[in-house]
Amino acid sequence: MSRSLVKFAAIILVIAALLYVGVYGLDFTDKYRIPGITDSDGITQGLDLKGGTVIVFRAATTDPSEEDMDNVVNLLRRRLDFQGYTEASVTMQGSNKVRVEIPDVQDSDTAVETLGATAQLEFKDANGNTIMTGSEVTNASSEYGQTEQGISRSSYYISMEFTPEGQQKFSEATKTAAAAASSNMNYITIEMDGNVLTAPRVHEQIDSDSCIITGEFTADEASALAANIKSGQLPFSLAVDEVKVVSATLGEEALSKAITAGIIGLILVLLFMLLIYRLQGLMADFALMFYIAVVLILLANFHINITLPGIAGIILAIGMAVDANVVIFERVKEELKLGKTVRSAVDAGFNRALSAVIDSNVTTIISAIILWWLGTGTIKGFGITLLMGIVVSMISAIFVTRFLLKQMIGMNVKNIWLYGLNKSDSSSESVKGGKA
Amino acid sequence: MFDIVQKKWVFFGISIVLCLISIVSLIFRGFNLDTDFSGGIALTYEVKGEDFSTEDMSALVSEALGAGKAASSVQKSGEDVIIKVGYDKDISDEERTEFSNTVRDSITTALEEKFGKAVYDGAPAEEPEEDVAAAAASAAPEEEAAAASAEPDASAEPAAAAAAVATEAPTTGGNLVSGVRLSSMDDISPSSGRELARSALWMSLLACAAILLYVTFRFEFTSGCVAVLALAHDVLILLGIYSILQISVNINFIAAVLTVLGYSINNTIVIMDRIRENTRNSRKETYGEIANNSIWQTMTRSINTTITTLLTIGMVFIIGVASIKAFALPIIIGIVIGFFSSVFITGPLWATWRDSAVNAKRAAAGSGKSKSKKK
Repeated sequence: MSRSLVKFAAIILVIAALLYVGVYGLDFTDKYRIPGITDSDGITQGLDLKGGTVIVFRAATTDPSEEDMDNVVNLLRRRLDFQGYTEASVTMQGSNKVRVEIPDVQDSDTAVETLGATAQLEFKDANGNTIMTGSEVTNASSEYGQTEQGISRSSYYISMEFTPEGQQKFSEATKTAAAAASSNMNYITIEMDGNVLTAPRVHEQIDSDSCIITGEFTADEASALAANIKSGQLPFSLAVDEVKVVSATLGEEALSKAITAGIIGLILVLLFMLLIYRLQGLMADFALMFYIAVVLILLANFHINITLPGIAGIILAIGMAVDANVVIFERVKEELKLGKTVRSAVDAGFNRALSAVIDSNVTTIISAIILWWLGTGTIKGFGITLLMGIVVSMISAIFVTRFLLKQMIGMNVKNIWLYGLNKSDSSSESVKGGKA
Repeated sequence: MFDIVQKKWVFFGISIVLCLISIVSLIFRGFNLDTDFSGGIALTYEVKGEDFSTEDMSALVSEALGAGKAASSVQKSGEDVIIKVGYDKDISDEERTEFSNTVRDSITTALEEKFGKAVYDGAPAEEPEEDVAAAAASAAPEEEAAAASAEPDASAEPAAAAAAVATEAPTTGGNLVSGVRLSSMDDISPSSGRELARSALWMSLLACAAILLYVTFRFEFTSGCVAVLALAHDVLILLGIYSILQISVNINFIAAVLTVLGYSINNTIVIMDRIRENTRNSRKETYGEIANNSIWQTMTRSINTTITTLLTIGMVFIIGVASIKAFALPIIIGIVIGFFSSVFITGPLWATWRDSAVNAKRAAAGSGKSKSKKK
């Protein structure tokens, strides 16, 4: 008995501790902190909650290549970074669209204009004179290999190809630059929209339709730089397909109302379980608190994008979370009515109900995965929270509740009224069609 | 406890009638597609200090748009009004941008004239909504508007000055005290809407196929078919209700339908699971008796799980803002229909199917066992 009591108390304490961490976070050491939901960046709010602008650009051409689309994404991302919108996100949508989400910005017209404009890629000499523009570069790619003869070490570098005019201009510029080596002015800068991408040194005149830029590049740096140089010439113009603007205040109201709804719904479910299933219900309520704690911790630590439908998903999952317990408890009650002892009834209840619990959750998981995978914007947010909710709830309903109930039995709590049966049920009631 | 299987034709009848009404409505009335799918502009304004009726608002909007143009819908929700204006199907990209700017500006101006410009309790310069309106003004070709936003000092208009500040440093706003403000805007091209509708259809089909696959894999053929029929039934009636009542259908509705697809099968699965178990253990019962017993053995459970789910999503519906209400409603309707079909349709359908299969076999064989009990 005492042993079960200790185990029981321990798990309740663990649940309480997890809840605390989920809400307030935890400082592990001075350096590392597990964020909680009340941290300033605890909830990663979607645009429909914190307000902002969503713009969907469409390539104004038929069947743009994947490479071209990647370049466009890259270019837009860089433009947003330059303008200080580091929290903005740029993602591909379908095969010919780019979705841009900029938090906190309500001026959609300016955003559309600055983003949609063609990027200006320029090559300049050390004195700031423009040598050539991006339109004279036909290709740029990141490669790996030996960059100089005699040096066995391989590294990442960028390979560029020029148009004939570009080759001419580049040849002249490198000749001048190489001559200035003594005064340390032997470099060419490559700028995009006036921001320096790279400034490679020139060691000799380059008269070729291609050249390479070397440096201490990592694989990622090299490919990003190549993409940027290439995207200097947008392969096609962009048409605006969708513009959404949400004010921050609208989102604030929506969020606070949704949280209120969630808390009231949670309390109702807790009470319902307690009233109908008594002791078992109480254990399910503890398991539900475990579910809440885990969901809060996941939300705060994995920066899951919370949209308004996403919150609905979390709240919906609270109701679904106890489904598994209801299935199991009804089964336990049936077993008790057949005259089994509490211990074997609980065991049988869990074992027999398991297949139904798993089967019924899998179908909802299928829907959630499809929404997460194929959905865009707020729908994706709903898919991920619903998926998370169902998986965590299934685990807590099966394992946590069962563990707690076992400790109860270990403490010799065996009054069947506590397990949801009424006096009349405990007599030799025969359930029609019950197990023989 | 009455025999659900014996009364099956009552329930089948209800279902068939509902399905037929739904099909007729879907064919002849179709859906009231939201701008998500049809393409168009949806503007949400918050109006403080003065009450208004939907009719007045519609008239005001029609007047503002002029030239026989009217909003496709004007909806009131508390202090908010949602105004939607559709696009012509083959409008070009350039025309569309211009049209959307004109619509936004003229409606905003008309509302401001009627209800007054926005007044806030906080610092008005920090109001982000203003720059939606003012930015629109600067994009418009009128010299006056351009001048106003370029030189905030020269113009006495506080809105334009506010916009100039807000553009540089986007901030959150104070509370609206009186007047009107644009709190959200949605502008979707017709082609984009069509594409979204197509992808929504694909998502739904894929979900159906995946669930069908899982159910047939996990259950024997009859149960699988019954479960999928019940799902189709739930979704058909849900769509039918939206078609009959002409409630607007947007992408969130699709997400709700997929959720219903995944969830409403839960009760069916539990009942089928019980039928599977009872079939294995039975010696003398008919399929009808097995089905009826299984339904009643799982009845409390079916009711209770439906209640707990409705408790939470119901709260979201009662308390939430307009957009989340619109999301919760189809889920609630779907869960209720799902409960009905799981409890009253699937079991009897399974028994009927099984019996007829047995009869057919017996007829074919000429002679056979009196009553088949096993698979």
